[in-house]
Amino acid sequence: MSNPSPRSHLYRLGVLLVAVFIGLLVLKAVTTPSSWNYEAWYRGDVLTDMSNQPLVHGGNDSCRDCHQDEVNKIKKLKHKRLSCEGCHGPLADHVRDGEKSADAKVITESRWQCLNCHGELAAKPRGFPLFTSEVSKHRGLEEGTVCLKCHDAHDPTP
Amino acid sequence: MVELPNNALVNYIFPNNEQVWWSLMIVIYPYLTGLIAGAFVVSALYHVLNLKQFKPIANFALIAAFCFGLFAAVPLLVHLGQPQRAFEIYVTPHTTSAMSIFGYVYSGYMLLLVIEIWLIYRVYFISRANETRGIQQRVWYLLALGVTTYHPDSAQLDRKLARILAAIGIPWACLLHGYVGFVFGSVKAISWWATALQPIIFLSSAIVSGIAVLIVMYTFIKWRSQAGYDYSMIKNLAAILWATFIFDWALEMLEIAHVYYQDAHEWAVIGPLISGPLYGSYIWGQVVWLSLVPTILLGYAVIQRGSGKGMLYMVNVGSFLLLLQVLFMRFNVVVGGQLISKSARGFVDFHWEILGKEGILTAGLIFAAPFVTYYIISRFIPIFEDPAGYAKFNPPASK
Amino acid sequence: MDESASDSPKKADPYSRRVFLKQIVSGTVTTLMIYTPGARGGHETSRIWKQRSTEHQWAYIIDVDKCIGWGGCVRACARENNVPDGHFRTWVERYIHTEDGVYVDSPKGGSEGFEPVKEEIRDKAKYARFVPKMCNHCQNPPCVQVCPVGATFKSPEGFVLVDHEHCLGCAYCVQACPYGARFINAEINKSDKCTWCYHRIKQGKLPACVEACPTGARKFGDLKDPKSDVSIILQQGHWTVLRPDMHTGPTCFYIGLPKEVI
Repeated sequence: MSNPSPRSHLYRLGVLLVAVFIGLLVLKAVTTPSSWNYEAWYRGDVLTDMSNQPLVHGGNDSCRDCHQDEVNKIKKLKHKRLSCEGCHGPLADHVRDGEKSADAKVITESRWQCLNCHGELAAKPRGFPLFTSEVSKHRGLEEGTVCLKCHDAHDPTP
Repeated sequence: MVELPNNALVNYIFPNNEQVWWSLMIVIYPYLTGLIAGAFVVSALYHVLNLKQFKPIANFALIAAFCFGLFAAVPLLVHLGQPQRAFEIYVTPHTTSAMSIFGYVYSGYMLLLVIEIWLIYRVYFISRANETRGIQQRVWYLLALGVTTYHPDSAQLDRKLARILAAIGIPWACLLHGYVGFVFGSVKAISWWATALQPIIFLSSAIVSGIAVLIVMYTFIKWRSQAGYDYSMIKNLAAILWATFIFDWALEMLEIAHVYYQDAHEWAVIGPLISGPLYGSYIWGQVVWLSLVPTILLGYAVIQRGSGKGMLYMVNVGSFLLLLQVLFMRFNVVVGGQLISKSARGFVDFHWEILGKEGILTAGLIFAAPFVTYYIISRFIPIFEDPAGYAKFNPPASK
Repeated sequence: MDESASDSPKKADPYSRRVFLKQIVSGTVTTLMIYTPGARGGHETSRIWKQRSTEHQWAYIIDVDKCIGWGGCVRACARENNVPDGHFRTWVERYIHTEDGVYVDSPKGGSEGFEPVKEEIRDKAKYARFVPKMCNHCQNPPCVQVCPVGATFKSPEGFVLVDHEHCLGCAYCVQACPYGARFINAEINKSDKCTWCYHRIKQGKLPACVEACPTGARKFGDLKDPKSDVSIILQQGHWTVLRPDMHTGPTCFYIGLPKEVI
């Protein structure tokens, strides 16, 4: 190396750059998820991953497996369109692996549960049954009386 | 009380808008990238345009740009929710995203900067590799890529290559910073960002902040080393700074004037924004005090005849205020845009964090890092001396 | 069932040499090509939507006139999808239009219902409505356009989803969404949003919010099925979408949306 070319440093730089470039390409190929969808640009496997997210709410049909009679009865009652889990809590809190894991919620002490839907508010749709403060039968009731004392939560006829 | 947009009776923000997702880290990120772009442009005054007057600061500007560049991506990493996945921007860059080019443009630019610096300083690395012993020698040897002789022909060649790289670097620096503006300017959901002027405003303010930081750094370094100032060079640089800032400020004003005069739905939220939450930092900070005072100071310093200490002080105060102006501008854009809730009927509160992950302390540390790095680098390589002075043609050219 | 109708990808053997080479080549080509303007425009997603030959084409309908604002949908969604407090994949807003201006609120995203407003507002009210909000699963989603790494995407059947294995948490999508539907989930530090309960749909159920709704204000269905609720309602033509000026092409359609709603 007594008399190197005036470009030898550039050749070395070039080799270094090419090596880095190839290294990066390999790294890119290795780290790109194997199911990558190059058309729409996303990791294809994510769809499988996401569909495996566990269900928390089972829907009213899932109640029927154990509570056939109750579900059938409610079908004729006023609150038939409500989601059971809306008041009684989600399936996942009540059943695990097909076995009952905890009691479902039964709320008897709260007025909020009823007023949340039927309390009078300006934004409520027309025709929706509201408990106006003028309901004559409610006069004389103590402040804070629980609705369920007189009304059935599943079939709340006035 | 703050005037509310779109006939709102109460300040209503969307429930998911309660947080400012892009906070101080994303404020200092464009600030640092801006400093790179600006500093690089100054180095190009000599390396490309061959303006001899700026030769003494050409390498200094280049090294400073490199130091800012080293840390420009750090705030982004700190900001990411999953920083360990940052490499994905190289692996699966989504071509429709303005942000996806960052990885390639930024690394390409840093590579260019490193090679240019290497070509300029190679002669110095060689001389060190030949004069030192032990571990030090190994490091210099590696930096010289093992070529420890300096061929007279390569001096010519290196200079030419460095000049070509510097020339490519100018549009690249513009791309790097213009792209940052584009990242904001292209978001149609945020009216305060969405303007086609955004990239060019970012770019011109980048050049302003880059020149300003070099002036302040230069003065500080020369003051510490008592090396004497190059007054006429400073005056010329100040003139460039002054002109660039006037252009930058004109663009900023044009943008806001355009939105105001057009009086379309954007103004419905931008009007209350700048007269409400941004009143102090935008109107009084960015537009009035931090713009008018430096414009007058720099203008006077440039126009008046004297070019001594008085001029130097004025230029430095002006440059420092302009650094603040650009920092305020970054804050007003980045944070300001997110203060408008997407509900368009209310403003989000910005909470200053001090010790948090994206707080003032982290921002300060990241911002200080380039200066510390510069100090360390300057211990090892000559910055205001021409590295070509270290050339020893050994063995002598064989002719 | 036709191949392309499936939402599940065709899996390639990750270790075959051919695939490896193909990845290197396509990776390089895309890297070189990607920055050509228009090479992969943002409207590509809307083209996919129009030409889609999938089995299903889902849509969501919100009937504002039926919403009673009880918030059960918000609670069910949060429970079903583990949405942390303070974030909302869906929420309910209350709009009260008065002679002085518009009053809007959404306390806790409406998850616990609404309290009566102050008398001074109520007395001046001309009309008031509850407006449920959520991800609009746009045909031309700005969030997908801006995601730098392809972590958010539009699935073939119209779901706009986030890949939590790939998301950087950069929040660019949060900025780009005109609807405030996205957020960075503070528990996982990744972008999060409504998935239309993708897992439930794939298991033959309805989204949790739709099941929770007692009045039928929320409906979800398949536009490919001409007898579905959503097909019938949309054919009547009285629908509108949020922020049509944003040109995002939502597939959440609103019935009876007051003009004040943004």
